[in-house]
Amino acid sequence: MLPLYRLESVTRRYSERLALEIPKLVIEEGGIHSLSGPNGSGKSTLLGILAFLSPPTSGALYYDGKRVEWKERSLVALRREVTLLHQSPYLFEGSVHANLAFGLKIRGMRGEQKRGRIAESLETVGLGGFEHRKAGALSGGESQRVAFARALALAPRVLLLDEPLANVDRESAEVIRAVIAGLPARGTTVIMTTHDPDGTGRLPGEVLHLEEGRLCRARDEGCDGGDGKNGAAADDHV
Amino acid sequence: MDYLVESLKVSLSLILALEPELCQAVWTSLYVSAWSVVLASLLGIPVGLAVGLTEFPLKRSVITLLNSLMAVPTVLIGLLVYGFVSRQGPFGGLGLLFTPAAIIIGDALLAAPIVANLALGSVRGANTAILPTAMTLGGSRFQSVLKLLSEIRFGMMAAVISGFGRVVSEVGVAMMLGGNILGSTRTMTTVIALETSKGEFALGIALGLILMAVALAVNIVFQFLQRR
Repeated sequence: MLPLYRLESVTRRYSERLALEIPKLVIEEGGIHSLSGPNGSGKSTLLGILAFLSPPTSGALYYDGKRVEWKERSLVALRREVTLLHQSPYLFEGSVHANLAFGLKIRGMRGEQKRGRIAESLETVGLGGFEHRKAGALSGGESQRVAFARALALAPRVLLLDEPLANVDRESAEVIRAVIAGLPARGTTVIMTTHDPDGTGRLPGEVLHLEEGRLCRARDEGCDGGDGKNGAAADDHV
Repeated sequence: MDYLVESLKVSLSLILALEPELCQAVWTSLYVSAWSVVLASLLGIPVGLAVGLTEFPLKRSVITLLNSLMAVPTVLIGLLVYGFVSRQGPFGGLGLLFTPAAIIIGDALLAAPIVANLALGSVRGANTAILPTAMTLGGSRFQSVLKLLSEIRFGMMAAVISGFGRVVSEVGVAMMLGGNILGSTRTMTTVIALETSKGEFALGIALGLILMAVALAVNIVFQFLQRR
């Protein structure tokens, strides 16, 4: 498999606090990659970097073999390949259709093709016919699924999911889990986080563990302290 | 008391008769207020957005300055603009003094800090997930800010309406820069001031009622749009 992301000496600081410190990490294209770890371990920070939304404080990020330039013009093109679904996704005001149409319109999709994609995405998450519902009137689980459909509609090359199974009812969790499992076959690489390592247990793919911003190969192994000697240290391939 | 009641009766008859002087003052007021609030919004909304969405040194000082500018007296703005547009001023050659254009400039400067501050408040109060969501769905920075504006449009409308309320009700700028010229720069508020100084309450009361009706109508329209 081809390396999709490569991180070299990446750190992210919030004021004085070091939120993330990854000496080296390679994420290969395809499959499902899970990041587990407790709250505050840096999972969401890492997703923000992989989504090209927030730059690392230091270090280099390579995507598809090219070093990412944190400049607006190049980032827009990258963000159209990679979509992040936040843990508590925000739905825009208006209808479900308007929410799903936003990213498609930006990509120049119009008319029947756009409507077809929206209907198909909603069907995929079990919300067929929800197009004209008001986003603000949906239940928590429905909102999560609409946000998921909004990301799916864009057919991204990489889908980053921040705790997609948290805060949803059992039915929504089952639907989302099933859709995630089928994404690699559709050509989408999935990178998802969970604070509950068992939450990914029913999904295929490798699991990486983060503790206090440092990467470990597994929960019970030591974490890398930046010297490249422990755990997922020097050349971690996922 | 009879005097006030009588004035009220006369004022209502003036309104119903669509007295030309009254209509002219209402039109001038609405005309200069609308244009000045358009200019104030073109200036204030981008400033509010820029301050709210970016981090820069002295940001806190800029916010303090914007807050302070909201309290600048109308006569001070009148004086300042007068200095620029009077015959001896740098723009004296344009012949703006005692024209509606001069009032529009002064009122725009009066309303811009109000619009900017309220726009800034809307941006700071907006859900912090809006911009990242729009960006991760493929929006450029500009497209994402437009989406943010759409999401907080009621806050922005409230900012614009507050600016309108400020300029339609002010008298200092209109008097100093407009000169209260009948049929040209006479606004509702300058007529009220003039007629009251002459002891003629009826026309003043009529315009006061119309001023309140305008404020009420603007707010009703705003509420209606919010409900939709």
